[in-house]
Amino acid sequence: MSVLNVRVDAIEQVTEVVKHFTLVQENGEALPQFSGGSHVVVSMNINGRVHRNPYSLMGSTANTDKYEIAVRRQEKSRGGSVFMHDKVEVGTELQITYPVNLFSISKLGNKHILIAGGIGITPFMSQITDLNRLGWDYEMHYAYRSDEHAAFREELEELCGDRVHFYVESDNQRLDFNDLLRKQPLGTHVYICGPDPMVKILHHTAEELGWPENHVHSEQFSAPPIGDSFHITLSQSDMEIEVSGDMSMLEAMEEAGVDAPFLCRGGACGRCELEVISCDGVIMHNDHYLSDTEKAEGKKIMPCVSRAKCQSLVLNI
Amino acid sequence: MNMVFKKETFRDDYSFSNSPEAIRRFPFPFPEDVYMYSVNIEPHVPGPVGSVNEHAIDVDEHYVSECEDRKITLADDPERCIALPHMMDAQWDMVELVMESLSADYPELFTLTKDGDQWHWVNKPLEVSDTFTFGDASTLPMEPLDYIGRQVQGDWVLLDQRDEDLFADAAIVTSQADWSLAFDAGMSFKEWHGPVPLANELGIFDRALKYMLHIQHGSPVRRLNWTMTINPRLDTSPEQYPLWGPDNVSVTPENVAQKVHLRVELQALFRLPRSNGLAFSIRGYLISLEELSTYPRWAKRLHRVLTNLHPDLSEYKGLDGYRQHAIDWLKQFDDGQDIGLGTQPE
Amino acid sequence: MERGYWIRSKPLYETLVWRQRATAHCVIAKGEGGLAVLKLFQQMFPREPIKILFADDVNSSKKFADIMSVVVTEGLQICQSEQEITSELEQYLTGCKMGTQFYVAGDEHFMWNVMSVLKPYGVEDVNVNKELCGTLARSVYCVHCKTITNNAHHNIETCSGCGRNLLVRDHFSRRLGAYMGFMIDAEEPGKVPDIEEVYP
Repeated sequence: MSVLNVRVDAIEQVTEVVKHFTLVQENGEALPQFSGGSHVVVSMNINGRVHRNPYSLMGSTANTDKYEIAVRRQEKSRGGSVFMHDKVEVGTELQITYPVNLFSISKLGNKHILIAGGIGITPFMSQITDLNRLGWDYEMHYAYRSDEHAAFREELEELCGDRVHFYVESDNQRLDFNDLLRKQPLGTHVYICGPDPMVKILHHTAEELGWPENHVHSEQFSAPPIGDSFHITLSQSDMEIEVSGDMSMLEAMEEAGVDAPFLCRGGACGRCELEVISCDGVIMHNDHYLSDTEKAEGKKIMPCVSRAKCQSLVLNI
Repeated sequence: MNMVFKKETFRDDYSFSNSPEAIRRFPFPFPEDVYMYSVNIEPHVPGPVGSVNEHAIDVDEHYVSECEDRKITLADDPERCIALPHMMDAQWDMVELVMESLSADYPELFTLTKDGDQWHWVNKPLEVSDTFTFGDASTLPMEPLDYIGRQVQGDWVLLDQRDEDLFADAAIVTSQADWSLAFDAGMSFKEWHGPVPLANELGIFDRALKYMLHIQHGSPVRRLNWTMTINPRLDTSPEQYPLWGPDNVSVTPENVAQKVHLRVELQALFRLPRSNGLAFSIRGYLISLEELSTYPRWAKRLHRVLTNLHPDLSEYKGLDGYRQHAIDWLKQFDDGQDIGLGTQPE
Repeated sequence: MERGYWIRSKPLYETLVWRQRATAHCVIAKGEGGLAVLKLFQQMFPREPIKILFADDVNSSKKFADIMSVVVTEGLQICQSEQEITSELEQYLTGCKMGTQFYVAGDEHFMWNVMSVLKPYGVEDVNVNKELCGTLARSVYCVHCKTITNNAHHNIETCSGCGRNLLVRDHFSRRLGAYMGFMIDAEEPGKVPDIEEVYP
């Protein structure tokens, strides 16, 4: 994968748990253009091990002198966000991938409903700059816990004017999905980014109301689940790798120097798919990509999020 | 680099020919004695100096004449360049891709200067010097795809990515191997490949589509495709089939070496950053059997590939009318010896 | 061609069946598509509001409007022509909400005409329930003169624009609502294969 060498140019504490980072290219050149909704994967060296986390690009697509990302500190994580908060300073050098977009605005939609929960607001910030530029009809619905967690509220008010609506949980303001979706005209697309349960409820509501699947879009950056350690063999090189409990198969392969393909690192896009030659135990599929049949057949696996309970798992790579 | 542009035609008197250098760098596509479809995609990284893959977009001695041929085709049939309304961002992405590639790789022929979004573009071979506002179509004499498409070799299709699929929603197509843009515009990946025999069953399209959906900005890919043409004709469109169709049955043992051409398509795919679409370039290279036989190894290989070719592929590629004539003529170069794998001329 | 060969752009049609999850239903039919509408009403009556737009085919002996008026108790609008159907449909669409399910039945040309009315409102043909009724006749797009010739019943049809003998392919354009036709005797003009009726 192509990488970009960037330097942290500025850091801002946005809320007590959210930090905003501005990144510029080491060589002083402008960064590559990107489309609203894109993300980059940031590589971090944590205690000698490389972690890679995806973060949405929040800045305007019109200005690529810098990239802007926001990171929410998660205590119960594998350390990526803690590293970003505690170890990264202005001047720190990082490696990032080129922007990738798995959450793009439909060009055929007549109207776009954007729904964010908490830190899920980040991909919409760049999408909105595209929507404004193109003059398309949209509404931004942003739900967050309380005033202390109102990340980027002012920026949104400035960007969206009266197209943005806030729902503050602590003030008992609730976003009613059923209500919201029912009144949308034909040709509307809905986009959601937020906590798992929120995304699931939105999908379910849309389905119940008869929305076609291709009008409902979601982005989730779930961290790979942890579990028991297990052993994998890479058949093409005969390499044997131990996948410890707190890292994904993909990360274990990367640490062993294997240049394994990946894109979203969250089990959604399918890029990292590998063929399973044999498994003497059970595969735990944690992805959203393979079909139920494919999962049952056990011949394919998404190493970025899935695991196995076995003595030996042999992969065709 | 001193490129001399040829003055030649791809229609009527067909004065086209390849210089010895053009023959040597020809992208011969057959590494084996048997040909079958495969997802033969590889990273589009710089190839050997002088090769067709050296640069992201190749400009060769036929550049000026090909652009002239395109101009004639477009004047006669404007529907060879179509862009559905939602593809404007993709059109601008294409302008940026072509202008930045050509000016970086052929600085003595093309220059691009930017002052914010005021761009100044100079194309010396075509005597173009224009200033325009990037993103504002009213500052160009025609739509961006039409404008830049007339200044680059090969057909270009801009694909919109949505619903885990790709749609041919904009394109400029004047050198196609028998498919109609006017008919196919707006089709999905599997739809426009509908007519291709066998490949579906081989799962080629499922794998190719999955791969293409994940192509990343900054990491373009490429592959080769091939067919054959009678006369060095670029516009072998269905639209003009009444014109070039009769040529398919005009081949004789006396004219086969001059008339029958191997036509190789260098296809490249580039992720477009603003629109998140893909640019699919289809660049055709033509070589007559006579020119090809400059390198006997190629003649031997082609003889074997044509002899072993699956009849459905031959029919689909339109070779049935003259394939045997070509095989008969190429036979003189084939001593039956093993020539090993690889596409090299010698 | 080998067994197992088919062109993937050729549309395949279904049977009309009410969708369980919806906020409203809109059924658009013409001619023998009327039977498909009546079949719908033999299924469980949906809870959501229904709109039916139907016109008999004036040239056909099979008429369904009268029976429909008996069977369909809500939302039925009988039209006199295809044009009236599409203009009524446009009016209906302006007030439509997401979740409205669309069902179309009739001959192929009619269905794709309806599809072209639905498209600007954001209704994609993949999400529309379509049942082919009455005839397999095709619309053929001539790549040479760009004319669409309707009601083709034969494997080879004469182009109504340029007069060429067109092979009627299975390659279909949803945008144009027509099959591709190209000059079958281009290589040897006059040498035309047997013309057979294959789309009754």
